Amino acid sequence: MLIAALRKELLLQWRSRAQFMAVFVFGAAALLLFSFAVGPVAEMLRQFSAGFLWLGLLLSSTLTLAESFHAEMENRAMEGLLLLPANPRALYYGKAIANWLQLVLLGIALVPVMVVLYDAGTTRIGLLILIIALGAAGLSAPGTLYAAMTAQVRSRQTLLPLLLFPLIVPALLASVKATSLIILGDPMSQLRSWIMLLAAFDAIYWSLCGLLFGRVVEE
Amino acid sequence: MKTLHADNNRFPRLPWILLVLGVICLAIGTYIGLFVAPPEMLMGQVQRIMYVHVPTAWNALLALTFAFVCAVMFLFRSDWKWDARMEASIEVGVVLGFLLCCQGSIWAKPTWGVWWDWDPRLTTTAVLIFAFLGILALRKFVEDPVRRAIWSAVATIIASVDVPIVYYSVRWWNSLHQLQSSPSTVSRQFWLPLRMNAFGILFLMTAFIMLRARIASMRLKHELAPPPGVAS
Amino acid sequence: MNGMIPGGWNFVVAAYSLTAIVLTIYGVSVIVRLRNEVRRNDE
Repeated sequence: MLIAALRKELLLQWRSRAQFMAVFVFGAAALLLFSFAVGPVAEMLRQFSAGFLWLGLLLSSTLTLAESFHAEMENRAMEGLLLLPANPRALYYGKAIANWLQLVLLGIALVPVMVVLYDAGTTRIGLLILIIALGAAGLSAPGTLYAAMTAQVRSRQTLLPLLLFPLIVPALLASVKATSLIILGDPMSQLRSWIMLLAAFDAIYWSLCGLLFGRVVEE
Repeated sequence: MKTLHADNNRFPRLPWILLVLGVICLAIGTYIGLFVAPPEMLMGQVQRIMYVHVPTAWNALLALTFAFVCAVMFLFRSDWKWDARMEASIEVGVVLGFLLCCQGSIWAKPTWGVWWDWDPRLTTTAVLIFAFLGILALRKFVEDPVRRAIWSAVATIIASVDVPIVYYSVRWWNSLHQLQSSPSTVSRQFWLPLRMNAFGILFLMTAFIMLRARIASMRLKHELAPPPGVAS
Repeated sequence: MNGMIPGGWNFVVAAYSLTAIVLTIYGVSVIVRLRNEVRRNDE
């Protein structure tokens, strides 16, 4: 059930990979704009690089998340899907995992942009990818739930970020802090605590949103 | 979905009584806090702000906790009165939370020299206000009452679960930059104005929630009523 | 410097007045909306 849902989602995403390119360009442009906002002071840019990366990713996520239910809204495919003897939970996790993968790819794609613009390189690539994965998971779980709600509402473009941004503050804090420690150094070994916080946030929201999704799409 | 038999009007006079009681308690508490209680040792006169700040904090938290309870009750019972109560308590909670942030800001300026000091409790309140304002916005944009009720209940639960997580993450985040000295401890002789104001705001808040829930129930009745001219 | 924060009455007054104003305005708005709703109900 879940595999089928996931396979369908990934296929849909592969078909709209031009959209992914557009979102990547949006994210990269955002990173560029942040440097204009702060000024061409290399040391300052490096200090804030983690924050810029995650802000850029957060802003881009509103685009990908909003799109994720686009297919269902056209042709009222949502009702058709729910009439099948498939679990709404499978539908949710399929979409959430697909969104997560997209965000992880986006995050990884933005890293070189960050390295170039802010001189923010690191050798601990594996850890960086781990943080991106955990942070993206934190965005994807509630994001997919709210995307399902707002897809059916007018003013969905403002409503989705309005609902999502306050909610993911802990994930944002933890991701930025952890990324910052990887780039700038971690003299007091705090990295582990931030990773634990991120993991806890992810665990809580992946279960809670899965549980509640059924009520959100019921007729 | 059960019909709207409970208009949230079981005790018609109670809110008005609570309003009067609340104003009286607040007036007494304010008088004692401003003119009778002595200035505090370290903080001077500024400490008096705590006599309204702490009660507002307790009540804002209470309102939003009640909103969470209403959300859960609605999802389990599908009774409209809980949706009305939830709408009311979110609105009142946001107003009290906003007031809380302003009071905290006014306290911070003479104390720390800045208008905002990223105190974990106030920062969490600020994030909360945005979260619940978002839920109020969601309610405005969804026309179908059933969907509106279910979705905002779900969103309320999600936001409420986030509160402790936000608090701890901000506390961690902040602890690296600032020594924690919170405006909390109030010594015994100062309890009276605090308690008076706490009851005052509690009575006012309860009255507000009751009246606002009544408004919500009446509006719901209008929305759910069959159109005129339909044979019953 | 004895550690006491000097003055500060304006901040205290500001805090208390703000509290009173916000609570009053909100209270009035609830009562007005209630009256409107009751009136609409009776029509």
